[in-house]
Amino acid sequence: MKRADARSSALDALIAFALGAVYVVLLLSTVKNLGYARDEGFYFRASTNYKHWFDLLLKAPAQALQQDAVDRYWRDNHEHPAFVKSLFALSYKFLAVDHPVFKEAGTAFRFPGMLLSALGVSTTYLWGRRAISRLAGFVAALLLAMQPAIFYHSHLACFDVAVLSMWLVTTYAYVRSLDGGGLPWALLTGVLYGFELDTKHNAWLLPPALVLHFLVTRGVPRIRRDLRAGRTALPLALLTMATIGPVVFYVGWPWIWFDTGRRLVEYVSFHVNHDYYNMEFLGVTYFRPPMPRLYAWVMTLATVPTITIVLFGLGLARSALELPFGKRARQATASERKTRAEAFSNRTLWALCLFTSYAPWLSPMTPIFGGTKHWITAYPFLCLFAGTGFDWVLGKIAALASERLRARRVPELALTLSVLAAPTVMTLHAHPWGLSAYVPLVGGTPGGASLGLNRSFWGYTTGAVQDFVNAHAPKNANVYVHDTALDSWYRFVHDGRLRADLNGTLALSGSDVGLYHHEQHMAKVEHELWVDYGTVAPATVGENDGVPIVWVFIRPGRGVAMPPRP
Amino acid sequence: MAVKALAWLLVPALGLAELGGHFYFSTRAPGLDEWRAVTPTVRKLRTRDELVVVAPDWAEPNARYAFGDELMPLSAVARADESTFPRAIEVSILSASAPELRGFKIVSEARSGKFRLRVLENPAPAKVLYDFVEHVRDAKVAELRGGAETPCPLNAHAHPTAGGLHGDPAFPALRHECGGADSHFVGVTVVEDENWRGRRCLWAMPVPGATLAVRFDAVPLGKTIRGYGTLPQWTERELRGAPVEVTVLVAGSPVGTYVHRDGDGWKRFEFPVAAPSPSDVEFRISSPRGGRDRQFCFQADSR
Repeated sequence: MKRADARSSALDALIAFALGAVYVVLLLSTVKNLGYARDEGFYFRASTNYKHWFDLLLKAPAQALQQDAVDRYWRDNHEHPAFVKSLFALSYKFLAVDHPVFKEAGTAFRFPGMLLSALGVSTTYLWGRRAISRLAGFVAALLLAMQPAIFYHSHLACFDVAVLSMWLVTTYAYVRSLDGGGLPWALLTGVLYGFELDTKHNAWLLPPALVLHFLVTRGVPRIRRDLRAGRTALPLALLTMATIGPVVFYVGWPWIWFDTGRRLVEYVSFHVNHDYYNMEFLGVTYFRPPMPRLYAWVMTLATVPTITIVLFGLGLARSALELPFGKRARQATASERKTRAEAFSNRTLWALCLFTSYAPWLSPMTPIFGGTKHWITAYPFLCLFAGTGFDWVLGKIAALASERLRARRVPELALTLSVLAAPTVMTLHAHPWGLSAYVPLVGGTPGGASLGLNRSFWGYTTGAVQDFVNAHAPKNANVYVHDTALDSWYRFVHDGRLRADLNGTLALSGSDVGLYHHEQHMAKVEHELWVDYGTVAPATVGENDGVPIVWVFIRPGRGVAMPPRP
Repeated sequence: MAVKALAWLLVPALGLAELGGHFYFSTRAPGLDEWRAVTPTVRKLRTRDELVVVAPDWAEPNARYAFGDELMPLSAVARADESTFPRAIEVSILSASAPELRGFKIVSEARSGKFRLRVLENPAPAKVLYDFVEHVRDAKVAELRGGAETPCPLNAHAHPTAGGLHGDPAFPALRHECGGADSHFVGVTVVEDENWRGRRCLWAMPVPGATLAVRFDAVPLGKTIRGYGTLPQWTERELRGAPVEVTVLVAGSPVGTYVHRDGDGWKRFEFPVAAPSPSDVEFRISSPRGGRDRQFCFQADSR
């Protein structure tokens, strides 16, 4: 029995690894035409500075640890903590500078983000495997990986999928610590939470979810009894999160080693008082509160494959039916009760993580500028519920099938293919337009445009027109980069994706080539191009399923080898 | 019971239906090659400088790319409205209709690939006798302060500028320059209205304590002077600026005053005119708190 368990665990580890590895290979094989996003440019620059600090640390550790050195190298982008950017820096150092494993340094910066994305996919599988079944875990993992927005963010040297994964692995470790894992898993939870804190401020929302989980699963009456008896049944992992977590956070972020209190206040203040950038929703650009309360829900429905949402709904329904309360629960055997209690614990935690991830957007005061990435930490849990729904449907459909079909696993195969086909095809098709992709429920990308949903942000779609710019921009052209940060532009140039003679500029007037990344509130920039260039006709348009996303203007008479109009 | 059990099959059916939906929606709208391919047909339809309108409007950049300035000039793309166009060609995809052509009569309708091409007729096109935006070069501009008048000379070779997302709109080379800040001039630009649509208009920003006078000599007159005013949406949406007033004088006598308040958007004004034609027309623009954020821009014609 023990040998069978070990074999099963090994197989699961292998499947988890394979899922992650295949995802990384897929991400690497599709990175070439994905432009560098605005925020990536800032992180490239900051990580390059951090890399210099790591160089100094290896060469002169005492000097590197002095405040002036720390401040000099870590000041850049100190509104975000350092863990993931440190990984970008080390990857850049070891995989681009010291050993040119990646031809493009941008890919080296992005590689840790890809690995963390793979970690999220693998962990979803492992948790689904433990809580539901092997096949359900597999399906849940792929439903997570195969979402156009997740696939897009998974490529980037940014923090969004990173914090998704860190939240997930921390929570998974927490559950394992409750589930007989004991001290090692509890210690690991504390360490992981420290890294999560050091990844992105979404981490602040996790403790309330875990405390609520404890209150719900332990039950308030039992907690009262515990307290009266002079003991607390508080999970050890909560204590490690509260103790080890902050230490790891502190150690991992050199910027807060000095002047700690003031810098932490500044960090928190930056995020709780964040600017309200513009974001279009249903044809209206919101730029100050109140923000639309339906934003998170509608955007989730419009961007997550509908089959995933339906399976999620079924998973929720099943979870409600299988609550360990009531007459049926009382009549259950001890073993059934234990199974139900475990399922209840897992599902409660998933629901709480999901809810806390969305909770800030119940308030109309919360900014919405980042689209679906704001609540991205909810998606693994949404997919674990989808796995629960899948497992439920599979049981029902298998019961309809003949024994012969069941023996050949036809129901498993057919259902798996039918629920994964659309998400997979849509996700691969959406590349490199991940932020522009909308599901058939709203009419696809054209439907999203007709509804007035945001078409893209971060100016990353320059990557989709890079070949045109290279072919048609005049020599030594000044290229107005619009929403592409100049740091991102320079990365294009340094990586050889754009010609070295092209000069990126934020000065529209006098430029030879003008990029325009469409967002509703950016229309002003296009109007400026019309007036300054004296034409309303773009030289090319980068479009997704017929919907214009990015277009390029060339000042009349300056373009090289321009195709004639029909 | 059997039906209830079979209902579970709806789940895989939905998965496959979503896949089918994806293939349907992702190929429904025409791509750039199809826009290029339809261009000769649209060109053939455009016999009398018809306005070319795209429905839905989000597809317009594809049309501008394919059709070029010849079929879609700036003056038409950033038009004040459709009232002066006798005919329009609606290039429609996805069965959409252009709301701005509601009320136009359909003259012909044809299909070409994924496009529906309709020629529409304006039942009552307005005849413009004089377009003040087109005649910016002929304007005489001055700043009136107290009893004094300071001319704003025409410079046809000013240094064009464009402020990008958070800066000023594009400032053209041809300007009547009033001195001081770069933005103190009268000239033609395009600003975004409350729906983020580009509107071609005369930039005429009132300065503190002064009135901006924009005069046109011997203007052919009809029954009205009609136009629109706005501030760029980036400014106007803040809803914290003072009103902008435009008094229209014909042959030296006021015929009406237009007041623009933040939040009005691209707002129309129309004043009846009784003076003989031609007569001099003057627009006097002022604001109790003129200045940097009173980026007024207006279009007007005599009809």
